[in-house]
Amino acid sequence: MAIELSAVRYRYAGASVFALRSIDLRLEPGRVVGVVGANEAGKSTVCLVAAGLAPGVVGGLLEGSVRIDGVETATLRPHELAQRCGLLFQNAATQLSNTTATVFEEVGFGPCNLGLPVAEVGDRAWWALGTVGIEKLAPRDPARLSGGEGQLVALAAVLALRPKYLVLDEPTSELDPAGTSLVAEALGRVARETGAGILLVEHKTDVLARIADEVVVLERGAVALAGAAAPTLADPRLAELGVEPPAAVKLERMVREAGIEWSAALAEAIR
Amino acid sequence: MTRLPDYVVRRPSGFYRSTNPGTKLVVAALEVLAAFLLPGWIGPAVVLAAVLATAAVARRLRGLATFGLAASPIVGSILLVNLFLLPGASDPIARLGPLAPTWSGLWFGLQTVARLLAFSSAIALVYLTTTVDDLLADLSRRGLGRRAIFVVGAAVQMVPLTIERAGEILDAQRARGMDTEGRIWRRARGVLPLAGPVVFGALTEVEERTMALEARAFSAPGRKTLLRVPRNGRIDRFLLWAALLALVALVGIRVAGRLG
Amino acid sequence: MDPIQRWVARQFTTRVIVMMPVAIAINIVLGASVQQGLKLPIYLDSIGTILVGVLAGPLAGALTGILSNLIWGYVIPAPIGSTVIGPFAITAGVIGLLAGLWGQLGLFRPRKGHVVSIAGAVVAVVLVAALALYTYSRAYASPDAFNNNVFGNASITMDQSRAFFLVVMVVYVALVASALFLRRDVGAVYAIGAGLVTGIAAAVVSAPISAVVYGGVTGSGTDALVAAFRAGGDSLYQSTLKQGLLSDPMDKMITSFVVFFIIGSLSRRFVARFPNGEKAIEGAPDSQPEPEPEPAS
Repeated sequence: MAIELSAVRYRYAGASVFALRSIDLRLEPGRVVGVVGANEAGKSTVCLVAAGLAPGVVGGLLEGSVRIDGVETATLRPHELAQRCGLLFQNAATQLSNTTATVFEEVGFGPCNLGLPVAEVGDRAWWALGTVGIEKLAPRDPARLSGGEGQLVALAAVLALRPKYLVLDEPTSELDPAGTSLVAEALGRVARETGAGILLVEHKTDVLARIADEVVVLERGAVALAGAAAPTLADPRLAELGVEPPAAVKLERMVREAGIEWSAALAEAIR
Repeated sequence: MTRLPDYVVRRPSGFYRSTNPGTKLVVAALEVLAAFLLPGWIGPAVVLAAVLATAAVARRLRGLATFGLAASPIVGSILLVNLFLLPGASDPIARLGPLAPTWSGLWFGLQTVARLLAFSSAIALVYLTTTVDDLLADLSRRGLGRRAIFVVGAAVQMVPLTIERAGEILDAQRARGMDTEGRIWRRARGVLPLAGPVVFGALTEVEERTMALEARAFSAPGRKTLLRVPRNGRIDRFLLWAALLALVALVGIRVAGRLG
Repeated sequence: MDPIQRWVARQFTTRVIVMMPVAIAINIVLGASVQQGLKLPIYLDSIGTILVGVLAGPLAGALTGILSNLIWGYVIPAPIGSTVIGPFAITAGVIGLLAGLWGQLGLFRPRKGHVVSIAGAVVAVVLVAALALYTYSRAYASPDAFNNNVFGNASITMDQSRAFFLVVMVVYVALVASALFLRRDVGAVYAIGAGLVTGIAAAVVSAPISAVVYGGVTGSGTDALVAAFRAGGDSLYQSTLKQGLLSDPMDKMITSFVVFFIIGSLSRRFVARFPNGEKAIEGAPDSQPEPEPEPAS
């Protein structure tokens, strides 16, 4: 029971270079896997492939196997994929349907598309709003939200489809620190309460340090490093792979270089 | 909390405002057709009177007045042009130097104006007494596909958004010293730097919007669930069928008159 | 699914469905800006329609045009909303339909550096000039114009319309020349030529609408022209047609040029994903290797 990418190679339609050259990845329910890497390392592509949108919706050539709970994504239609694996992007505004008057209806957009009975749509909408923690946003106009609020609404809207896995492509990249914190907290809560498996692409390694269980580092379409979150984020090779380590790791390095003792108590205090 | 919130299920109230949107559309179609098929300018005037009466009871007269104000330049132009320049007219009202207003010009102008006002106000009445969301919900209930609903709904929401974005780009350009007022030629040159970013910005979002829609099961088969269901009581249905029959009868009479 | 159903479904993929509201919004916002800001006899309210028509197909283009007019006229409130544009939805539908045809024929494809096509371009220019001349001779040189002379303006009107047609041809040649010299793109000739034909068709379809619904008066600066033609003895239909033939071809040529430019500037990958996108890209999608891989984040 997992999303499994095995020996995956992927090339976009009309491109001559493979964006993904060799990817092996496993996402299990209840785990948060962070993905980092330099620009153009393939992070966004991994998101599209894992969620099945590539090659399904965007075309292109896929080699290897991508399976969600044992089923190849190539055999699933987009709406079936949406119920197994939710996908979130960077820009909150483009994820709105632009057809609803309130956040409540926006969150209910997915279940309505599936033709579920009205009572169930209502149930799911309230549940999603509650899990993300934005019940008070329910009557608001979706087009008039701040960036952070918009991302939370998009998260709730995707959750309303009850996917077992969530793939997020840099959800906080366009947010200020306050918004980032909101989203990170909501993600942590979602992981705990729903048991969903979360694949999180992030530049902001601090977020990963906070909520990720594992971290995968990509370089030019292949996995360069992988392992548990804390040791991988502290790996000295991160910098040359184009990834900025979390603030805590940087602080620890600076302190050690200055010759000061670094104790576990200090590390705990910073966390 | 499985009940849908009030702000979703609440229905509009008030005379004609609470009438079913589909019914209002058919009634408007009847009024528009009547404006064109009834002879002379008395026919359209009757339609206009009916629309005004409905608007008055529905407390939307002020909206109609605003719309009338917006249409007044055209109304004035039509009257003037036809009054003075109807070709082949030889029954002058008076001679004011080189200009000669004619009776037939006046008649033709009045007829055109009456038709224009009648049909535009009939449509304006629908607009003033119905929200886009309710209209789309009703059309959806009657079987209009989710794709068409999406296109219309999203287009309506996107117009103000696009204008906002254009405004932001305009401000940014002004801050960089671009001349946005002034003579025609300069303004024409200013349109392209504004139109470019607006158009391209909107187009580059298409890919991500497409993926986001698919991720929300937009292509799922079968009928979509509706959270908003407009009223469709006996009166609404009766009115709709009555208007439909009147419409067919009107067309039939007109066609028969032409043939007979 | 029978072939017709399939042809219809092919034009309305999710991507097209997403594109249409964007195109409609572009039509309305640009059209309103030009109408209120520039006061020139061009409209620039069909860019979205022609874009969707070329990329997705005739039905999608026609629907984009029709919905744009209906929404602009009857849903969007003033000051952006327009009170006269609604009935011209039929014209907008025809524009979208034709754009789908041009897209199918590949007339909006960039053709850079194909010297051999210069001959084809010359032929296209000659054909277009011939068509324009023919239309002019039919619409403006009718002997009826010299009868029923109420104000004696007939001959002046003839000269003005002659001059206007010269302007139209000059604009056409200028646009084509700039495309050829600045972007070395012969495809512009076909696109702009298609625009000219679309403009003529639009004028022909709009004339009766303008005459029947508005008596030829729509509140824009062109009303004076219609009045002048009527004073010269033309019927209402003839007057609106003549006025339309002066502004529509120019507007549609400029619009088509803009659309051609837009399509040429979008990434080939993006264009390729549309139903008729392949016909709007130069060469097969994989024949030109991308210089860098798709940006991953």
